[in-house]
Amino acid sequence: MNSLWWWALPVLLLPILWHRQKREQTRALPLATARFLPASKPVQLRVWRWDDVLLLILRCVLLLALIALLADPVLPWRGDSVLVVPGADPVFVDRQARAAGLADARRIDLPGREGYRWLREHEREFRPQARLLLVGDVAMPAALPRLRHPLTVRPQAAPVAPPEQHVAVYSRRAQEWRTLFDALGATQRYVIEEQAGPGTGLLIWDLPEPPPAGLRAPLWWVADTAAFPELQKAPQADGLHYLDSRRGRLWSAAWLPPQDAAAARTMFETWQRLHFGVRPHTAPAQAPAVDARTPAGPDGGALRDMLAMALLVLFALERMVTHVRRR
Amino acid sequence: MAGLASAALAAHTGKLDLAIRHVLAGLGHGIHAGRERGAGVEFSEYRAYAPGDEWRRVDWKLMARADRYYVREAERDSHVAVWLVLDATASMLEPSRSIEGLDKLGYARLLLGCVGAIAQRQGDAFGLVVCEGERAHFTPAARGPRQLQRVLSLLERTDAAGTMPGGEVLRASLHFARAPSVVCVAGDFLEWPSPLSEAMVRLRSMRHDVRALCLQTGAEIAASFDTRQAWRDPEGDGKLFRFGTDVRDGYARRRDDHFAMVAQQCRSHDIPYVAAPIERAPGGVLRAWLQAKLNARGGRG
Repeated sequence: MNSLWWWALPVLLLPILWHRQKREQTRALPLATARFLPASKPVQLRVWRWDDVLLLILRCVLLLALIALLADPVLPWRGDSVLVVPGADPVFVDRQARAAGLADARRIDLPGREGYRWLREHEREFRPQARLLLVGDVAMPAALPRLRHPLTVRPQAAPVAPPEQHVAVYSRRAQEWRTLFDALGATQRYVIEEQAGPGTGLLIWDLPEPPPAGLRAPLWWVADTAAFPELQKAPQADGLHYLDSRRGRLWSAAWLPPQDAAAARTMFETWQRLHFGVRPHTAPAQAPAVDARTPAGPDGGALRDMLAMALLVLFALERMVTHVRRR
Repeated sequence: MAGLASAALAAHTGKLDLAIRHVLAGLGHGIHAGRERGAGVEFSEYRAYAPGDEWRRVDWKLMARADRYYVREAERDSHVAVWLVLDATASMLEPSRSIEGLDKLGYARLLLGCVGAIAQRQGDAFGLVVCEGERAHFTPAARGPRQLQRVLSLLERTDAAGTMPGGEVLRASLHFARAPSVVCVAGDFLEWPSPLSEAMVRLRSMRHDVRALCLQTGAEIAASFDTRQAWRDPEGDGKLFRFGTDVRDGYARRRDDHFAMVAQQCRSHDIPYVAAPIERAPGGVLRAWLQAKLNARGGRG
């Protein structure tokens, strides 16, 4: 889409035309019998010569930089590469790279597990002949991706470290809540706090009085709705009232705190699903089909900063030269 | 083609006297009478030889005595003064559009030089009046090869510029008491009536033989100029003019009307008028100019 901006290149003709020398047709040859001819008005002639060539060049380059910035060109500069998912075992990576003949290839550390998505976003940076190896705990995409470069995927399922969740509990029956979270601590580790901090993911409000004004958390479990009368009218799903407020999202149910194991599991599953999403599976070892006609992915903006800086410098130079010329 | 070649040769000959010699040689005999005029010629004095003098006029006996060349000067009963009048206004720089280096001024210079040379051969006195840049440069009439050299040198140094001098200036310069005179006026006569035309009429009324040579270019006659080019009048105020196929007929009509009026006025004042394109061979034009007959009283041959 951005590459359509290249069609704006004819705009460069404008300064070229504007800088053509305007000259009145004063160069008239003498003709003795001109008195027998009809008089004519001086004609404005534009001759194909340019004045202020420096300014003309500056303006053309300025426009070119602007168009390039808008078109966001991506130069294919990456060759054979090994894409390493964070957390991959270096020995495993070396072995796979040697096996694929990419021992000397450049290693690229991916920002996350979404190797396919990263590759799609940056595929235009790779030269057409580049071979790619994706190693590590690669997240399996929902659909088999279509790529323009040959890619080999060598997955290595990493042991999932249970993420830590900070839970702030404001309750007179805090021990009950603590017991509940201890019982659920098999898949995740819960850190029970008495005061909410910046890392708090869940805040349990089990007090009748309203909370202090500055208290905020992404999710509130309100066990005593007396503190939040607006929750009475909030929409509900399966008996769970939910409301987005300035303090965060409020959840409230009649069965809070969960009294039996089933209610607790339902609550926790809902929480996990809605707030933490599903952890994707590790992609299988595969080599997706290569299709050179695959539409290019979104533009990378690799040159954006450089072009913006060049634009700024050119603009300043253009202003200065124009100013000097006027004096 | 012979005419073109001859005109081009005249244009490219840097030395005016060489070109004159070439033109006069091409004329053969008949344009000028012999120098010796029988009883009318009497010995007057000796003078030192000057280049251009005929060898037969050198007194060999005197040379044997004095070891120097002396020429016998003859005195004639009647003297005819020939006045060469050159219009050297800016419009005379109009070049030929077909022959490189040829312009009206050069052509007029050549023909006036020829007239001067003929006058010198005939023993007539001749003078020069150059109308250039609102002034009239006057050279008194005299005889002999030195005068010819002086006149030719002046003609060669003449550069066209400006406009015609005023009537007063011309009246002061073109006032010849001695009669009869032959006044040969070479110009383009684009301005008519003008101080020059009034002076010509006045001289004619004083019974001088006034002869007008109107120089034109082939492009002017054929009305063919560059249509992409803007033009200006060299004697005008810088206004621009344009030429195109749409104005061609109007141009030709106005120009023809103008020169018809000039010819008619010359005819009515008994002034022989010869209009010639400068691309034509100078010899033929010179012959036509000098042999043009006066209506009533007859002209000099």
